[in-house]
Amino acid sequence: MDLWEAINGRRSVRAFLDRPVERDILERLLEAAIWAPSGGNAQTWRFVIVTESKRIRSIKTVSPGLFGDPAAVIAVCQDLAAARERGGTLGETFLAPVDAAMATENLLLAAYAEGLGACVIASFHRGAVGRLLDLPEGVEPMLLVSVGWPAESPPVPLRSKEGIVFFEVYNGSG
Amino acid sequence: MGQVELEARLFELVGYMLTSGRNLLDETPMYGPFRLVDAASRLILLLEDEEITSSRLSTIRERIDAGKYSVMRSPGEFRTFLDSLVDALVDHMDSHGKEVIRRGKRIEKNKANANVNLGGK
Repeated sequence: MDLWEAINGRRSVRAFLDRPVERDILERLLEAAIWAPSGGNAQTWRFVIVTESKRIRSIKTVSPGLFGDPAAVIAVCQDLAAARERGGTLGETFLAPVDAAMATENLLLAAYAEGLGACVIASFHRGAVGRLLDLPEGVEPMLLVSVGWPAESPPVPLRSKEGIVFFEVYNGSG
Repeated sequence: MGQVELEARLFELVGYMLTSGRNLLDETPMYGPFRLVDAASRLILLLEDEEITSSRLSTIRERIDAGKYSVMRSPGEFRTFLDSLVDALVDHMDSHGKEVIRRGKRIEKNKANANVNLGGK
């Protein structure tokens, strides 16, 4: 798929068909995720792919931002202890969430290229999700991504560069 | 829906409300009304799935599901949507005493609209 087609076509999908997503497809999404840039090449991200419906329902119970019934939920986590070791305070507090976000965008574009729908979720209880996923001490869930075959086509959102993109200096037009 | 599944769905709805209560301490205040009206929609949907229906409640749920994601588009649009929900409540108050809870097969129209989603980002 053309890169611009994926960038322009991707939407946040919150309704899914009752159909599983094959494991090899999920693994391709994670392959895309780990090719994202990583500050200091730390690569302290960790990913947990959940496909058991019972566990997904448990996660959904403590994740108000998770809508629909996705075939999979991917927890994008960071080993904050490793991030601190690799990048100091900056690594732990700044680079770790930024890396998670960059990996997530790769994952989303790959999902779209596979014909899947996906949605990034930040509204969840981190402690509860950590317990449900049996995350070890120091590993924190940063984002959740719901993934499944789309049952909706969300409308094109408004996007404009006006007042957002400048050349040379802030408010400059070059 | 069997009793086990019903209990699980109720537990999940309570979980949604409790977790929302905690998370709203740290989230945008706009999500407060969003979670409230979404919880109302989920409750009505659960009752519908249990084949306990009321036409005015179903109408309100459909309106919620059609407009709730406006919270992600525009505060003004979301405010207008919330006002329209309250207007719809008042419109349906006249039905008080005439409406009855129906137990039986869920209205197909409602099922088709259950996944209406106008959101996106």
